[in-house]
Amino acid sequence: MSDLKLRVKEMIIDRLKLEGMTPDQIEDQAPLFGEGLGLDSIDALELVLGIEQVFGVKIEDEASGTKAFRSVEALTAFIAEHRKA
Amino acid sequence: MTDIPGHLPHRPPFLLVDRILEREPGVRVVAEKLVAAGEPCLRGHVPDRPLLPEVLLLEMLAQTAGFLEADSLHGRAMFLAGIQDARFQAPVLPGDRLRLEVSPEGAFGGLMKVRGTATCEGREVCAASLMVKRS
Repeated sequence: MSDLKLRVKEMIIDRLKLEGMTPDQIEDQAPLFGEGLGLDSIDALELVLGIEQVFGVKIEDEASGTKAFRSVEALTAFIAEHRKA
Repeated sequence: MTDIPGHLPHRPPFLLVDRILEREPGVRVVAEKLVAAGEPCLRGHVPDRPLLPEVLLLEMLAQTAGFLEADSLHGRAMFLAGIQDARFQAPVLPGDRLRLEVSPEGAFGGLMKVRGTATCEGREVCAASLMVKRS
């Protein structure tokens, strides 16, 4: 698992208080919302805030959110692309 | 002066904000609420030992958060969608003048997260994060 992907999973677990869950239990390709992790719109806002706080990357609109939240894989790519340095 | 009934659709006995002290829409709102001895909720909570129900502090903060919106909430909807990390540090009694402060932490997908605190004479009585749904 790449270092960034691991940190993304740790941020998800920490921010959404998914107690008892470990990074290797989150599948890279599984959708974060609906099926998969089953997150809801409140979780989405929490993730947006967490991503900004931990990685300094802003998700400004729902279109970028939809793209970034497709899976952990997609989110990691989104963060890698948008974070500074 | 902010026109409170003009902005919030709430009415007594469930209008829980008396005055707006500071207001910068989208950034910060400070409101005031005097907990009067005659508040209807105190009659039953509890006889002989009136104490403001703590959950009403959350409603006060939510109503204060309504003033973060630049435009009037009449004819629109604003719902409380979540409460996080709520703490009630001290009882609120009749006669207490509460200072209610809110500021947004962020927004996404029609939801806004707001951090709020209620203080009485400089002492924090309640702190919580509220998730608010706007439409």
